[in-house]
Amino acid sequence: MEIIKYIIKRIIQTIPLLILVSLISFFIIRLSPVDPLAELKLNPSVSPETVEKERSRLGLDKPIIVQYGKWAFSFIKGDLGVTSTGERVSQKLKERIPNTLLLTSLVIFLTWIVGIPLGILSAVKWKTSFDRILTILTSIGMAIPSFFFAVLLLLFAVKTGWFPIGGLTSPNYQELSFWGKFFDMLHHLVLPVTVLFTISLAGLQRQMRGNMLDVLDSDYIKFARAKGLGENVVIFKHALRNALNPMITLLGFEFAGLLSGAALTEYVFQYPGLGRLILEAVMKSDINLVMASLMMGAVMLILGNLIADILLIITDPRIRGAQ
Amino acid sequence: MIRQVIRGIFWVILLIIVLKGCLRADLPSVDNQVKNPINNSKEISYEIPINKTINGIDYLQSQSDIGNFGGEFVMSTIGEGPKTFNPFNSKDNTSSQMAGIMYDGLLATNPLNGQPMPKLAKFIQSMPDKTTYIVKLRNGLKWSDGKPITADDVVFTWNDIIFAGMGDTSTRDSLVIEGKLPIVEKIDNHTIKFVTPKPYAPFLMMLSTPIAPKHYFLPAVKKGNEFFDSFLSTNTKPENIVTSGAFKLKEYVPAQRVVFEKNPNYYEINKKGEKLPYLDKIIYMIVGDINNQVLKFEGKEIDYISLQGSKVARYKSLEPHSDFKLYNLGPDSGTMYMSVNLNNRKKDGKFYVDPIKQKWFQDLNFRKAIDSAIDRKNMVLNIANGIGEPLYTPESLNSIFLNKNLKPYNKDIKKSKEYLKSSGFYLKDGKLYDKNGNRVEFNLYTNAGNTEREAIGVMVKQDLEDLGMKVNFKPIEFNSLVNKLVSTFDWDMVIMGLTGSPLEPNGGKNVWLSDGRLHMFNMRTPKEGKIGILPWEKELDEMFTKGALETKFENRKKYYDKYQEIVYNQKPMIYIYSPTIIVAIRDKFKNIFPTSLGGLTHNIEEIYIQKDTETKNTKVQKEWK
Repeated sequence: MEIIKYIIKRIIQTIPLLILVSLISFFIIRLSPVDPLAELKLNPSVSPETVEKERSRLGLDKPIIVQYGKWAFSFIKGDLGVTSTGERVSQKLKERIPNTLLLTSLVIFLTWIVGIPLGILSAVKWKTSFDRILTILTSIGMAIPSFFFAVLLLLFAVKTGWFPIGGLTSPNYQELSFWGKFFDMLHHLVLPVTVLFTISLAGLQRQMRGNMLDVLDSDYIKFARAKGLGENVVIFKHALRNALNPMITLLGFEFAGLLSGAALTEYVFQYPGLGRLILEAVMKSDINLVMASLMMGAVMLILGNLIADILLIITDPRIRGAQ
Repeated sequence: MIRQVIRGIFWVILLIIVLKGCLRADLPSVDNQVKNPINNSKEISYEIPINKTINGIDYLQSQSDIGNFGGEFVMSTIGEGPKTFNPFNSKDNTSSQMAGIMYDGLLATNPLNGQPMPKLAKFIQSMPDKTTYIVKLRNGLKWSDGKPITADDVVFTWNDIIFAGMGDTSTRDSLVIEGKLPIVEKIDNHTIKFVTPKPYAPFLMMLSTPIAPKHYFLPAVKKGNEFFDSFLSTNTKPENIVTSGAFKLKEYVPAQRVVFEKNPNYYEINKKGEKLPYLDKIIYMIVGDINNQVLKFEGKEIDYISLQGSKVARYKSLEPHSDFKLYNLGPDSGTMYMSVNLNNRKKDGKFYVDPIKQKWFQDLNFRKAIDSAIDRKNMVLNIANGIGEPLYTPESLNSIFLNKNLKPYNKDIKKSKEYLKSSGFYLKDGKLYDKNGNRVEFNLYTNAGNTEREAIGVMVKQDLEDLGMKVNFKPIEFNSLVNKLVSTFDWDMVIMGLTGSPLEPNGGKNVWLSDGRLHMFNMRTPKEGKIGILPWEKELDEMFTKGALETKFENRKKYYDKYQEIVYNQKPMIYIYSPTIIVAIRDKFKNIFPTSLGGLTHNIEEIYIQKDTETKNTKVQKEWK
């Protein structure tokens, strides 16, 4: 019961935050010198009447505050509006979200399944050569910029011909059998996943190792060992549970990055995700699309934090007590 | 210790070997740097399809070689793909390109000479009164769903879609002649009459506008303009779309590809009487940027690419031992120019352009001095890698209206100095001053991010600094620049490009008419009308008005020759160069007849894939099949 009250309280708190975020983003976009009609204006075969028609269709002839009001009103009603080319924003997002989710959730799943054990292992084997090699590898992983790594892998794909050059499916995808489709997608996913995996694995492994080392150094672990408990019990029952707490907060952030975290890699690999869509929208000042994506980002961040906090309440009795 | 040193040395050597290997592979060898390497100067042996009636059905018969059926042709489009499949609402290039594949017009442009060539129409008769056109449709034409294409479809398309202002209204806008629209009438099931209010030359080519299937478009048109804008959006089920072109839509995957398949009801046949097109599928990969496109071509995922100048030398050296062939499609039809602001008017008591600068810009000698100071050949060599040609006229080099009497000239700094001197400019300590003692200094703009124009800007700045001018070169964001050019007018000099048509100069009327909306070099607000018109601007107005009303090519050419001459002499816009378009295509594709006017895929229905086991590319290709 307590927890439900807490959640409701948190949700109510987000409302002013969202309003503020939307106001700031809307005004920044509209005050930027990007003119959505610039290309039309410079096309010799487009008449001034057409430009005017477009202006009023996009609502650009009204003052900013009215434009914002219109946008906000339809947003509350759950209508994200139309893009500058007249397609429904919700439809456009719906096309791309599954692709991005597929990529990011695969990466998050892999990094956590590999990163956490590696972190624990290198903390337990602190200062052994295993730990050192892992440290070097993760340092490299953290140091490589994702776009650069992505470009390198693309060149690798071109030279060897082992992997497709970007995209998510082959042109003959529709004619493939179920398993053919499955492997085709997998084949396309290998390179982008490798990039994102290498980069986020490094961070996660370091984080886990650090937490674990902190905990292993604490008094209650020394006490547990002194008590004569087996090493496995000490590590998995006592140390791990405490070391995992900060990771849960991290998980919240990972959740926020589900939809926006891979934009750069997506762009380099021509992955049909949200990244490309939103980049183009920003360039063309396609206000409804940009606003939708910004609001989505904000909501995901808030939601991610909320989930992390709730998980913490569940896992950590100390926080539960403080409530 | 020693072991460690040896190990260290070993690693260093290994690293050097690896790095060296990488470097060597990527450096183009100098011998292969050929200037302007590709010349397809030999006569193109292409013959356009002819009308052929078999069993009462009026086919179009291809005159090219008979090929094999089957296979797919993978092309690419840069950007985010089509926004709509509605041919009457496409506002961007990709969308109109896609619509162009699916919908045929009554006629098309002959890729060899730019004259009209029949498509859906069997023939078009221009009446002696120069305003009436009789169009006879082919007998036995069918939409992709099997329904017949009749005069009703044509009348519906023109009267209920285009003239009713549905979707994109640019076609209608360009056909308003003295406030009136042409009249379109059905005579019988296969005959339509078009009457323009006055003789209007560009009208004939406007008949290449796609024709819509009435039975499919009528419900959407009835629901009004707003619904029509979203009709045939990219979410439409492909199998629902009724088309008349050689291909119909099969699949659209957002941000990945557009797949077209053969339209079995297409009206073109080959010499054996088999129905074209040869290809089963055309696939457009949607790629985000040009670099990815190049990678995809090199990775053999796409079959056709248009090359940047910087890549041509490398591809040329690769060509002999690879599976592609390069073609020269001739000069680009867009033009790149430098312009000065001739505006001498005020807004709210304030001049748009500083009065001191106004004096320079309005001085013809000043403009001529700039013109002969810039080194076009050097720009072609250094910026376009030699793949281009200097440009001196507002019509592009492949335009059928190009005035060939206007001679090119070289950079001549001495002449520039003479021009400046005769207008009272003088040099002091290497700095140029006007006769009132003002230092000549102005801003040169272009849109940031366009590396080609930025490079031109740098070279122009250097050339003009040789004359003692101080040029502040400022690449600014595209939208801000457009705003300066068409709304606030607060600029001095600019480097920009314009798209154009090699077939119809009338499209440039917005630029050249003194009250045109893109009359950038001396822009007037709508309220100002034709205020302060210069004598040569008046002449330009006359040339464009008369040129459009004349219907005979030879007579029109006279007016458009004169307009080019005026611009050549008055230099409101100083043209720089036009890049040459070089494309690469896999050599398994046959019946390739590239022309400057039609590009490479103008005869897409005739292109076929050679089934030859010895073609080099059989062993390649992707694994997951």
